[in-house]
Amino acid sequence: MSEDESFDLVGCLARVRERDQAAAKALVDHLYPLVIRIIRAHLPRRVAEEDLAQDIFLKMFTRLEQYQGAVPFPHWVSRIAVTTCIDQLRAQKRRPEFRWADLSENEADVLDAVLTNENDVEAGDALAARELVHKLLDQLKPDDRMVVQLLDLEQKPIAEISGITGWSQSLVKVRAFRARRKLQKLFKELERKERP
Amino acid sequence: MNSPDQKWPRLVSAARRAEDVRDETAPYGFSTRVAALAFARERTGVSLLERFAWRALCVAGLLAVLSTAANYSLFSSAVGEDDTLTDDNTVSALLDFSS
Repeated sequence: MSEDESFDLVGCLARVRERDQAAAKALVDHLYPLVIRIIRAHLPRRVAEEDLAQDIFLKMFTRLEQYQGAVPFPHWVSRIAVTTCIDQLRAQKRRPEFRWADLSENEADVLDAVLTNENDVEAGDALAARELVHKLLDQLKPDDRMVVQLLDLEQKPIAEISGITGWSQSLVKVRAFRARRKLQKLFKELERKERP
Repeated sequence: MNSPDQKWPRLVSAARRAEDVRDETAPYGFSTRVAALAFARERTGVSLLERFAWRALCVAGLLAVLSTAANYSLFSSAVGEDDTLTDDNTVSALLDFSS
């Protein structure tokens, strides 16, 4: 969401409901940073972020009459964005196999450091670490991936994840447990294969 | 060797240090396009409904007129027979208090 605190969200929504196109445009501009952050965090492979953002906003306008104000509007939009990303991830049925050979030099160094514990991951390798994390997350089921992303990478509390996804808190915990177990299994396989 | 439980937290902790410096403002023309598409989509839904509703009404009316015309002789003869209810008609037998 933009940092513009003076934005009159309630008034803008009222005008959008009266089919004011300028208000709709202002609403999209206001919410774009929020939506694009969610998309970038959960972007499925081979999907253009702008196309996904457009889908999310069109869903938002289509369902606007269903919004009753029970939760803040940005939370409601976040939920649409998250579920749209999950749907996109589900649509990509095949997950590529995770192989050392597919990693860049930096990513392989980071993975090596994590697996062997000989060196700490250097601050300069943060970007490679992030890419590596996303490649590992690609190995998980979409729902599990979403939970780990929100919980471990974005450090959101379980209650908030439950609110964003619409899943119960126990389901969020189960999915997190399942995902971390799968990641541990993956690390063990990578250790066994060793860096070429 | 690292504990398997610590590998993921270490990696994630390193990944969190990566700053995302990409621009977060909407690309030029994006909001205009989305707003126009959203309203155009609503309008298409309504106009389709309107068009199909009127078409359905016209077809239904035409069918009603055609079926009435085709069966006109049957209707007219049935109306003529209404006054001459016979005794073997169960309803007229039940309602016949004169006998």
